[in-house]
Amino acid sequence: MTTVAAPRRRFNGLGTIVALELAQRVRSTAWYVLLGVFALLMLGMTALLLPISGIADGGGYAFSTIVFFVLLLGTLITPALSGGAVNGDREAGTLATTQVTLVRTGALLLGKVLAAWVSSLALVVLALPFLAVAVIAGGLRVDTVLVSVLVVAVELGVVAAIGVGLSALITRTVFSVVVTYLIVAALSIGTLLAFVLGGLAVRTDQVTRYRSLQDGATSTASKTPVCGAWEQDHQPVPRFDKVWWLLSANPYVVLADAVPASFSRDGVPKDLFGGLASSARLAQIAPKPLVVYDDCSADNSSGPTPAQVMARTVPSWFVGLGLHLLLAAAILLGAWRALLTPARKLPRGSRVA
Amino acid sequence: MPTEPGIAVEGVRRAFGPVHAVRDVTFTAPPGAVTGLIGPNGAGKTTLLLLLASLLQPDGGSIRILGHDPVRDTAAVRSLIGWMPDTLGSWATLSCRASLTTSGRMYGMPKPAAAARAAELLDLVGLTEFTGRPTRVLSRGQKQKLSLARALVHRPRVLLLDEPASGLDPAARVELRVLLRGLAADGCTILVSSHDLAELEEVTDDAVFMAAGETVATDRVQRAQSRVREWRIRSLDEAALDTALAGRAGVRPERGDRLVPVDGERAAADLLAELVRSGVPVTGFGPAVGELETTFLELERSGA
Repeated sequence: MTTVAAPRRRFNGLGTIVALELAQRVRSTAWYVLLGVFALLMLGMTALLLPISGIADGGGYAFSTIVFFVLLLGTLITPALSGGAVNGDREAGTLATTQVTLVRTGALLLGKVLAAWVSSLALVVLALPFLAVAVIAGGLRVDTVLVSVLVVAVELGVVAAIGVGLSALITRTVFSVVVTYLIVAALSIGTLLAFVLGGLAVRTDQVTRYRSLQDGATSTASKTPVCGAWEQDHQPVPRFDKVWWLLSANPYVVLADAVPASFSRDGVPKDLFGGLASSARLAQIAPKPLVVYDDCSADNSSGPTPAQVMARTVPSWFVGLGLHLLLAAAILLGAWRALLTPARKLPRGSRVA
Repeated sequence: MPTEPGIAVEGVRRAFGPVHAVRDVTFTAPPGAVTGLIGPNGAGKTTLLLLLASLLQPDGGSIRILGHDPVRDTAAVRSLIGWMPDTLGSWATLSCRASLTTSGRMYGMPKPAAAARAAELLDLVGLTEFTGRPTRVLSRGQKQKLSLARALVHRPRVLLLDEPASGLDPAARVELRVLLRGLAADGCTILVSSHDLAELEEVTDDAVFMAAGETVATDRVQRAQSRVREWRIRSLDEAALDTALAGRAGVRPERGDRLVPVDGERAAADLLAELVRSGVPVTGFGPAVGELETTFLELERSGA
């Protein structure tokens, strides 16, 4: 009797799965069309952005806008790239023939995640020349460039993992892709809606005191200004400081908050990251119970500058990013359990083969 | 070394919710032989093959593939078995060569070995001219061949084939038969499920009958086999044949032939001798339908 080919120690087949997935992707025309459309959009955007913001303020605004745009398109395209990874194979009849080999379930799943991630990273790679143009325009810090690209890459990885995981948990390809989109929408738009509605639902009274300056002709002799009487009013104000943490799960806020903020000397952000981060962080500051508007006083301080807001509040990006990674890991764990063979349970209405 | 059964199944059952797909299956398949798995649609054949292929866990009973338990010793079983499913899946955009190379890599074969094996298998199943073509251009029968090649990629010792001949043209069926006989001669254990009984008859050494999720007990199979079956007799002289057959019950004509109920092979031999002795010019004498088919139909008829 011939000896059985002994499986190599710790063989898991991860490399084979990644190679297989990528080989199938690079052969699809749709993929190139998608990349082409993306490149065209990038080109148009860079051409429009640079004359507007580039020369005067350095490349900060152009750069950050392109990065946000890559995040937007990346999170829109990645679900389509990953959402049918497992159930699509099941429909094509190639899942069971893979499961029956020595490829481990974890490697099968992880290989598909890596392949989907790599193909969504192609968008980032494609955006690099346009980002380079913005960098050349000047005024950008190296850490801004590195951190922003890294965060986008990680976020796309999270979406890829969620998409692949759901495709193993949900039988129909259409549904798993749609649910992946819903999760992306819940994080991107849902958190914002919850934040606004939550802030409006929790309202407290704020007292406003106001005193006007009486500049009439009657008292020209007097050096001291003539002040009007104090008027007092009160009204409910939304308490965004109670729900600010909702925004920390928003991928755009995560990106903005993670990038080291750069401000001009008068505290104005030099890019969109700082702008969005300081706006989101402003929500952490509780409204004062008493607000005084005194036109009669010389000391008329306006609110804090964005730079001051950043200094007074706490960063939250790692909470949001951690949450995203946790969500992806939980979905992948569920997917791994669902894919284990020999299988105890089967997905409803599906055949293994 | 005593020959260990390639497949040994005892009291295996598996339910999907309220549906008991496999209730009670017991059989063994020896190495070096082709065993047929025969049963009507919905008898649980595919589920049984999934259980054997280490894709499903049984609810009870035991399965041994050359002594290994698919649930506890999954990796060992997977390197031993080659499974050809009834659904034909292929990576549509990959070439035939790339598909088989990838399958080989999934068994841990190094790239050059996998590529060499792919070329060898494409030659074996007669798909050499499609080596570089994407698998989506293949016809159903060609996909069937590719699927068989995929099942053979790691030189399995136990082959589980689910309807391997459906979609194949007659020439390809003959090739498949020769291929399976060759593998069996090399000591492979081969289990073939099919409802193409004529096809199975040509290639199998033994058969396992399944009905309603259960293997049919051997004695019941033997009883069904020993029942009276029809033999087809053809003669140059129909009148002489009719005269010779006069007095036998149940003779009926069909397309110039006569179908005669005969009780067993011994009786058939006697009948032929008698016809020849009486000078009937017999040109054809054989069972009207295959033995497997008779057994299958008889079991269906007498079944629960």
